[in-house]
Amino acid sequence: MSQKAKDFFEQYKAGKISRRDLMLGAGKLGISAATANFMLNAASTQALAADFDWKKFKGAKLHLLLNKHPYADAMIADLDNFKALTGMEATYDIFPEDVYFDKVTAALSSKSSQYDAFMTGAYMTWTYGPAGWVDDLGAYIKDPAKTNPKYAWDDVLPGLRASTAWNGVPGGALGSADAKQWCIPWAYELNSIAYNRKMYDKAGVQPPMNMPDLVEKAAKLTKDLGGPYGIGVRGSRSWATIHPGFLSGYANYGQKDLTVGADGKLKAAMNTAGSKAYHKLFIEMVQNSGPKNWSTYTWYQVGTDLGAGASATIYDADVLGYFMDGGDNKEKGNLGFHAFAPNPEAKAPTPNIWIWSLAMNSFGTQKDAAWYFMQWASSTEHDLFGATKTDFVNPVRASVANDEAFKTRLNKSYAGYVDQLAASSPGAKIYFTPQPLFFDVTTLWAETLQKMVAKEVPVDEGLDQLAATIDKQLKDAGLG
Amino acid sequence: MEHTSRLERIIRIVLVALILIFFLFPIFWIFLMSFQTNEDILRIPPSPFFTPTISNYQALITGKLVSAAGTLDIPFMRNLWNSVLLSSVSVVIALILGVPAAYAFARFKFRLGEDIAFTLLSFRFAPPLLVLLPLSLYFQEIGLTDTYAGLIWVYQLIALPLILWIVRGYFEDISPDIEYAYRIGGHSWWRTFTRIAVPLAGPGIAAAGLLAFIFCWNNFVFALILASADKQPVTVGSLAFVTASGIQYGQIAAAIVLSVTPTLAIALYAQRYLVEGLSLGAVKG
Repeated sequence: MSQKAKDFFEQYKAGKISRRDLMLGAGKLGISAATANFMLNAASTQALAADFDWKKFKGAKLHLLLNKHPYADAMIADLDNFKALTGMEATYDIFPEDVYFDKVTAALSSKSSQYDAFMTGAYMTWTYGPAGWVDDLGAYIKDPAKTNPKYAWDDVLPGLRASTAWNGVPGGALGSADAKQWCIPWAYELNSIAYNRKMYDKAGVQPPMNMPDLVEKAAKLTKDLGGPYGIGVRGSRSWATIHPGFLSGYANYGQKDLTVGADGKLKAAMNTAGSKAYHKLFIEMVQNSGPKNWSTYTWYQVGTDLGAGASATIYDADVLGYFMDGGDNKEKGNLGFHAFAPNPEAKAPTPNIWIWSLAMNSFGTQKDAAWYFMQWASSTEHDLFGATKTDFVNPVRASVANDEAFKTRLNKSYAGYVDQLAASSPGAKIYFTPQPLFFDVTTLWAETLQKMVAKEVPVDEGLDQLAATIDKQLKDAGLG
Repeated sequence: MEHTSRLERIIRIVLVALILIFFLFPIFWIFLMSFQTNEDILRIPPSPFFTPTISNYQALITGKLVSAAGTLDIPFMRNLWNSVLLSSVSVVIALILGVPAAYAFARFKFRLGEDIAFTLLSFRFAPPLLVLLPLSLYFQEIGLTDTYAGLIWVYQLIALPLILWIVRGYFEDISPDIEYAYRIGGHSWWRTFTRIAVPLAGPGIAAAGLLAFIFCWNNFVFALILASADKQPVTVGSLAFVTASGIQYGQIAAAIVLSVTPTLAIALYAQRYLVEGLSLGAVKG
C-alpha cells in the first residue's frame, strides 16, 4: 500500500476525516473494498488502544459461552481484532438456542468456572443476579482503571441501560439509582410491524396505524388475499408469547402486568377494564386473522410464514422481519417495516424489547480480563463493525444507529427499517415488572390467552381467574 | 396345508401396504426434503416435484451452512463422530462389565444378589436432570467435566442396566446342564463361561448391545450439561439448524438421514439377532 493511502488511514485514526470520507477516498486511491475494510478495522483497533492499556492481561485465555445467533457470528468475525488488541486468547462454546439457557443455568448453578462470560437476556438476569451467579458490572464501568476512557457507556441507549439494571427488589424499577448492572446490552430487537409490501399492494391496504386498524386490515388481508393469513403473532404456552407484540401493545394502552403497593407487595393487574378491552382486541385479531394453529406458534413459525409468503404481517421482533427479508426466503426483498403505536391516542410506539447481553460469571477466575473482553465486544468500534458488515442489528449505541454507513446499508435492502427503528427506539424498553416469578406469571398469562382465543373461557372471566391465580402465587412466594 | 382365499390375500396385501405407508411415509418425506431447498420445502401447497439438490448434504459434510445471516460454521460431522464414539465405547464397556455380571446374577445365588441387581436397574428410573446437577459438581472436583471418559462413564447409566437385565434373562433361559456337562470334562468356570455360556447367549447379547447402542445414541441431556460444544452428540448438534434467522428444514432433513444411517445399518444387520434375542430372553420356556 502506498504511503499516501497509509497517511489517509492515519488521518482517520486521528479523527481528522470521517469514516465516509475515508471509504470514498480509499476508493479513489484504487484500494479495494476488502482491503479498505481491513485497514479500517485495524485503524479502529489502534484508535481504541490509544489511551488505555489493553495489553494488561496479555496471555490470558478466556472461555466464552455463546448462543448460536447472528450476533455471536458477528463477534467471531471480529475476534482477531480483540486478540491483536489485547494479546489475549478467546475460545468459545456455541450451543443452539433451544438448549442454550439450559446449558447456562446448569453451568451457573453448579458454580462452574469453565466460562468467563456468556450471552444472556435481561429477563434471565432477574434469576441469575439475585442468586449471586453474575457480577454487578456497574462497578467495572465506573472504575477508570478497568474501563477504557473511550468506552462511552452513555452512548448506549438509555432504555437498554435501564432494562439491564435492577436492584433485586421484586417490583423495583429497572434502572433505578440503586440498581445493579447485571449485564451489558449487546444488540437488541424491538417489537413492531413487518409486512409484505406486495400483498398489501395487491389488497390495496396501507400499513396499519393502530390496533383497531390492524384488526380491521388483518381481516381484510385474510379475506382478500385468498390463501395467506393477515397477521402472525406467537401463541405457544410460554413467556415468549407475551413479551413481543402482545406486551408492546398492552404497554401502549397504558396497561401493566403487576402493580406495586405502598407496602411493596405485588398484585396482578391483568383484570382492569383497560386490560380487558385490549385483550378483546388482540383475541379478535387472532381469531379472525391469525394462523390456524396459533397456539403452537413460536418465533420460528411466525418468521417462517412471513418469509414463505404464508402471512401478510407480523407483530413481532423487527429483526425477525429483517432476517426474513434476506437469505433464501421466498419473500426476500418484499417486506416493509413500520413503526407502530397500537393505542390511537398514544403519541409514540412503546415496544417491549429482547436484549442479547453479555454477563460475567461470578465463579470465573479471571474477571478483570473477562471485563476487557466485554467492553471490547460492546465497544462502539465492534458495534459499528457488526452493524455495517454483519447482521449485528439492532445496534445498542446511539452513535451507531445514527451512523450514515449503517443507515445507507439498511435503506438499500430493508424498506422502512431505519425509519421504523428511529421512531420506535426512544420508547423501547422492558415493560414487565421485574420479579422472581416472571416466567411463571407470563406462562400462566399465555395459557389463559390460549383458552380465551379457543373460546374456552370468556375474556372477562378468564382475566379475573388469571389475576386471582397470580395473586395467590405471589402471596405464596411472599411477594404479594 | 393352510389355504387362503384370493380375497384374503388381497386384503392382507392392502393392509400391509397401508401399514407400510403409515410408518414409512414420514421417513420417505424427510428423505425427499433432504434434497430440497428451503424455498421448495416451504411451497404452498407442498409438492413432491422439485429440482433435487445435494447442497444440504454438502453443507453438513463441509461444515458450512449458508443462511440468511451469511455463512455459518456447523460442526455436524464432529457431532456425528462424537455420537459414534460415545455410543460404541459405552456399549463395549457395558458389555464387558454387564455380561459377566448378568451371568453371575443368573447362575449364582449370593447374599444381596437381587438387591444389587435391582439397584443397577434403578439407575434407569432416576430422571437424568435430577442426577446431572450433583453429578456435574462431582465431575468438576475430580476433573471429569468436559471429558469423553466422564461422558462414557455417565452413559453407563443407560447401557449397563439394559444389558445386564436383558442378558440375565437370556442366561436364565439356557439350561445349566450344558454347562455342568462341560465342567465335568474338567474345564474351569471361566472357560465354561466363555466357551459355552457366551456363545449360546450370543443373540441375546447382540440384541441387548444393539438396544443399548440405540438408547445411548438418542441421549441428549448428558453431554449437553457435562461437556462443551466440541463433545456434543448429534442429538444436540442437530438443533443448530434452528436459528434465530430461520429454520433450515433441508439441512435438518439431511441431518436426520445421516444420523439415522449408522443405527439403521446396525439394526438391519442385527435384525435377526434382535428378534430372536429379545423373544428368547423375555419369555420363560
